[in-house]
Amino acid sequence: MAARWAVSAGSAWVRGLLGWVRPERWLASGSLFPLSCIHTSTSLQKLGKWEKKNRIVYPPQLPGEPRRPAEIYHCRRDIKYSKDKMWYLAKLIKGMSIDQALAQLEFNDKKGAKVIKEVLLEAQEMAVRNHNVEFKSNLHIAESTTGRGRYVKRIRYHGKGMFGIMKIVRCHYFVKLVEGPPPPPEPRRTGFDQAKEYVQQLRSRTLVNTL
Amino acid sequence: MAALVVVFSPLPRLRGLLQRCWGRLERGLLPGFSGGQSPPWGPALAVQAPVFLPQPVNDTGESSEAPSLLDSILWMAAPKKRRTIEVNRCRRRNPQKLIKVKTNIDVCPECGNLKQKHVLCGYCYAKVKAETRLIRMEICKKEGGPFNAPTVETVVLYDGEKPTEKDEGKRIIERARKRPSWFVQN
Repeated sequence: MAARWAVSAGSAWVRGLLGWVRPERWLASGSLFPLSCIHTSTSLQKLGKWEKKNRIVYPPQLPGEPRRPAEIYHCRRDIKYSKDKMWYLAKLIKGMSIDQALAQLEFNDKKGAKVIKEVLLEAQEMAVRNHNVEFKSNLHIAESTTGRGRYVKRIRYHGKGMFGIMKIVRCHYFVKLVEGPPPPPEPRRTGFDQAKEYVQQLRSRTLVNTL
Repeated sequence: MAALVVVFSPLPRLRGLLQRCWGRLERGLLPGFSGGQSPPWGPALAVQAPVFLPQPVNDTGESSEAPSLLDSILWMAAPKKRRTIEVNRCRRRNPQKLIKVKTNIDVCPECGNLKQKHVLCGYCYAKVKAETRLIRMEICKKEGGPFNAPTVETVVLYDGEKPTEKDEGKRIIERARKRPSWFVQN
């Protein structure tokens, strides 16, 4: 019994001994390490709110409920472009189907068009692979916005020893793809509609503080 | 009277310039009036005198001097009020500044990529460009140097093609591959 204890203790001691032994030290320098020893995963930066939106999981739908369309959130951070200039492109593709958006961006000459096209293709790929979207063309752009990235200040040298401080401007781009055809555009508000609303407003006036 | 121009500039050069400017203005408008003396055109003595007063002695040189750029600095256009964000948004977002949706995008019948109606398909053009580059390299190898271009026409033949009687006097360039479908032989 004592021997068994000694053996178990000894084995525990041996296991403890082996715990801190690092096999990579035994290998000669310059040889390849076995892959299992290397900590190769890169530590991700803090996830923004938009990236976390992909993680929400809804409870399973009941048989009678209408089908909830798939939503895919994707973004790209710190693009070297101005957020105001990027906004024009984001406004262009808002509400379009993904094919139409890709077509418009392909023939646009702006620098941000190339970046947004890459983001849309990535998002489409993600949708088909991870989010159970059946047809990659059956997506439309529900939301597309830009945000201000981290600005950096630098000195810009002028003549006569004068200087200015310039900002190196970056932006983020956010997109939300939803499965299904794009919603029909809202009809323009005509003068007749405005007149009707005005008359309705006049008719719905009441006397205040009376019976 | 020109409003006081407050320019925040840490540079002595600009400050000195403005001081000289201001000094010149003062001297120009009120010659000889410094330190509380009465202006020269006011009567120094109340006397029964003829109705007309002697003309004030002014330097005629000043009025004839054209306002130089340094004097007109204080009359430059400058914004009166800060433009509010609402006004800025109206200007930046009005339909004239938004990007127009293009309606001239089609599908290329050859390769299926997108193309503009009045422009060659980018993919097909790149394909032809690559092949042309290889043909040009073959020509380069055949010629060997600059200024060796022959005075006859050139014909490109692919694998397994023989020169016909039409290609009698022409220079022949061989390409070691199958003839591409878009390169028609005549």
